[in-house]
Amino acid sequence: MQKARKEPLVIRPKSEIGVPVVMQFYAKYEAVIAVCFLAVFIAIPAVVNKRYVTNVMIDCCRYSVLALSLNLLAGFMGMTSLGHAAFYGIGAYTAAIMSTRLGTPFLINFLCAFLIAGAFGFVVGLPTLRIKGRYLPIITMGFCEIIRLVELNWMSFTRGAMGIGNIPTFYLFGIRLKEPMQRFAIALIMALLTLWVVHAIVNSRTGRAIMTIRDDETAAGFMGINVFYYKVLIFTISAALAGVAGAFYAHNTKFIDSTLFTFDESITILCMIILGGMGSIPGSIIGAIIFAILPELLRDYVQYRPIIYGFIIIIMVIVRPKGILGGYNAKYIRQKMRGFAGAEGKEAQHG
Amino acid sequence: MAETILTVEKVSQHFDGLIAVNEVSLHVDKGEIVGIIGPNGAGKTTLFNAITGLTTPTYGRIVYRDTDITQMKAYQITSLGLARTFQNIRLCSGMTALDNVMVGAHSHLHSGIFSQILRTKKHREDEKAAYEKAMQVLELTGLTAYRYEYATSLPYGLQRRLEIARAIATEPEILLFDEPAAGMNEQETSDLMEFILKVRDMGYTILLIEHDMRLVMNICDRIHVLDHGALIAQGVPAEIRSNPDVIAAYLGKEA
Repeated sequence: MQKARKEPLVIRPKSEIGVPVVMQFYAKYEAVIAVCFLAVFIAIPAVVNKRYVTNVMIDCCRYSVLALSLNLLAGFMGMTSLGHAAFYGIGAYTAAIMSTRLGTPFLINFLCAFLIAGAFGFVVGLPTLRIKGRYLPIITMGFCEIIRLVELNWMSFTRGAMGIGNIPTFYLFGIRLKEPMQRFAIALIMALLTLWVVHAIVNSRTGRAIMTIRDDETAAGFMGINVFYYKVLIFTISAALAGVAGAFYAHNTKFIDSTLFTFDESITILCMIILGGMGSIPGSIIGAIIFAILPELLRDYVQYRPIIYGFIIIIMVIVRPKGILGGYNAKYIRQKMRGFAGAEGKEAQHG
Repeated sequence: MAETILTVEKVSQHFDGLIAVNEVSLHVDKGEIVGIIGPNGAGKTTLFNAITGLTTPTYGRIVYRDTDITQMKAYQITSLGLARTFQNIRLCSGMTALDNVMVGAHSHLHSGIFSQILRTKKHREDEKAAYEKAMQVLELTGLTAYRYEYATSLPYGLQRRLEIARAIATEPEILLFDEPAAGMNEQETSDLMEFILKVRDMGYTILLIEHDMRLVMNICDRIHVLDHGALIAQGVPAEIRSNPDVIAAYLGKEA
């Protein structure tokens, strides 16, 4: 890979390199910042030690999984899905039904939620991903509604409007992991694994292929990229990851019903990545954290919440349409900071 | 006789009632620069699209080496060894020049999704191979200094060149250029001519569509002329220049 180059990373004024100094600083110290962030993230619930705070932190992790998985699809491959909550719901119902009826342990349920949500993604993706661009949001929106109605009406399987309660909490080798910090640990591991998977895919041959599909689908074909294969692959992976978040939700709250996995939830997940940054991994996490904390801060103004969300999105679209971190790629910024000597040579050549 | 690598046999492309390309036959030999010229709407790009798999020809057969590629999709044809550029530049705006060229190496890499997620040796070797290939092509095309710039932030002439570099990175045998000089000024066109000759000398065979007569007449070994979807003339530049049908097609017949 392109690392292990000797040139130092020097922070330069924006006028020279075209990247804000803050982003250069971030790019330079990304690893350190990530570790510090993680440390603070773990320290907050540990130090504060309040059930409420820990639960909000758990939500941050769960939303991060949802935002990262949707960003892989919408931000990196450019296929906007409005049905992400459907796969999230499928994962939740898989875990809920398996654990209440079959008594399977949570890790098995997580795996099955991953596989079944992924299978649904695959089956939905096969016919719909052949259709060009803008129809996908409409189709996935319809799918989301179908799944919600099935969850609501298939009494014998999903218990309909009553929902599924008494879902067992997490058990690992006979140990009950019921304490908030234990549940937080599971959520954090889930989020970190998702982060790993999304980061690995994006920084690979597949990542370049899907970004080419996003930027120009026709050109992608002529680069030897099997466009349809990658669309189905990424749609499936994205759905499967959302399924895991659903399984976690089911075990964590012990009760689920169809009102949790609606079109509104899909929009909320989409808002996270619009706010954080389309095609940005740190952006997904920032968006997820904001959307986990904001409802808590607005608890007293619950009836105004949709208005406030709407305003945030409108202001973002005007001020920073790419989202907080959208359009910044730390790897590219580092390359540019290193390669600046080369760029100076180029100036000399032309001057 | 020279070795023929691409044969187009009586290819027609119909769009409902419209016959955009009508029974065109041509062949390209190894090491040649073959030009296709014709007035606007003559069906040049349509023919290119049919050859490269963007559309499937209505009738006819296209053979690359011994493989019938008529029914193949674009990505399959690319991995066999045909690469193309576009009339309107189609670079990835969200990627640097380097990454754009690395995309070109796609079909020569083999790591699957699991080895990418698990960061196996295969994945690392792939990334190394793609990077080295890209750097080599950037060097050949004189774009090394621009590798960390966003592709679409480059000046127009360099974007054209980058598109060619990306096509070269797919390791083709034959390159198809669709109006490479479109929108270029005199100087840029001259640079481009030199560059295309340099690319040919690297061992690539070239089939190109062009409007710029100076470029076509100077660098092509053979020229085919299309008008209203049909081939009206073919030959070496000197023959084409004096062909009455060609003059009529370009300038109109005398009444």
